[in-house]
Amino acid sequence: MSVAGRGDAVVRPLRPYVMADDDEPAKPVKPGAIGQAPEPQRRSLAVRPFLVTAGRVSDDAKLPLETQVVATNDGLTALPTLTFEQHDIVAACRAPLSLAELAARLHLHLNVVRVVAGDLRSARQLTVHAPQAGTAHDLSVLRRVIEGLRAVPDSRGLTRDNNRPA
Amino acid sequence: MTTTALPNSSTSGSGRPPLPVKMVIAGGFGVGKTTTVASISEIEPLTTEASITEVAAGVDDLTHTPHKTTTTVAMDFGCITLDPTLKLYLFGTPGQDRFGFMWDDLVAGALGGLVIVDTRRLDDCFAAVDYFENKGLPFAVGINVFDGNLDHDLDEVRWALDIPDAVPLVLFDARERGSVRDALLVVLELALERAER
Repeated sequence: MSVAGRGDAVVRPLRPYVMADDDEPAKPVKPGAIGQAPEPQRRSLAVRPFLVTAGRVSDDAKLPLETQVVATNDGLTALPTLTFEQHDIVAACRAPLSLAELAARLHLHLNVVRVVAGDLRSARQLTVHAPQAGTAHDLSVLRRVIEGLRAVPDSRGLTRDNNRPA
Repeated sequence: MTTTALPNSSTSGSGRPPLPVKMVIAGGFGVGKTTTVASISEIEPLTTEASITEVAAGVDDLTHTPHKTTTTVAMDFGCITLDPTLKLYLFGTPGQDRFGFMWDDLVAGALGGLVIVDTRRLDDCFAAVDYFENKGLPFAVGINVFDGNLDHDLDEVRWALDIPDAVPLVLFDARERGSVRDALLVVLELALERAER
């Protein structure tokens, strides 16, 4: 079966800011998977992401994408003294946001957000709420999600329950 | 993993964040993953970059250490606030699904997965099906009926995909919120059934 070689596959460029550099090895791609489609327009960073973090990768690298972060009062008070990514992250988190949303809204690499959020947490300017392990198997959580989703109306305003009697 | 709020750090006005849960939307390129997310998400789907660890296939490695490379990919996601204390995130896997990929970053802690299939290109979804099977993640296969044609013979599709009877197979329309909701509910009901065992 030819998955990599199919004609309509688009292999997106990975790490555009890295690929632009000659000294960086190109990302290994299976033969036949390259060059089949033009590069989709995407915004890329002006600097390498780990310049932002002074080359550090995160101890928090395992924080799930959906981890919620919220600015603390300390963080909001310190806002005028914060710079760049730290400032942007604290300012964006007046209300809870996931790491994934932060990265997308601020156009930052997810792992950069993880590192900087870790710093801000250490400085008590941000609280980080990672989901408990085992949440995915928690019966009460699953039941709540099912119940909540059933109540989501379809495009005609019908919930699952008045659409199809349980 | 624990909740890691530091003591004595007062959270700003908005109070405690909701419990975040997530599901993964997988499938080949162009099958409607982003459409699926967009149909039900309360926000315009966002794109972020994340790292995935990819096991390089076809590399003989005498050290028995799988040769892994970390690559960065773009992925789309959306979310639904189910109630003030519970928020469901939907992450679409990046488009270039291939064998040997690992979406560990994406699926860690996920409630379940929906593998979207285009009946014209069934083999596009095999990588995702294999991956979810290996991970033991509850998942369903959703046939996206672009043309509104709901007459596909599910037994034939199931046979062609070679998926076990335990994996639900559903027809759905990625453009219809109610249809996406019902497909996700099939996955969640399977997850609940498994968790109850």
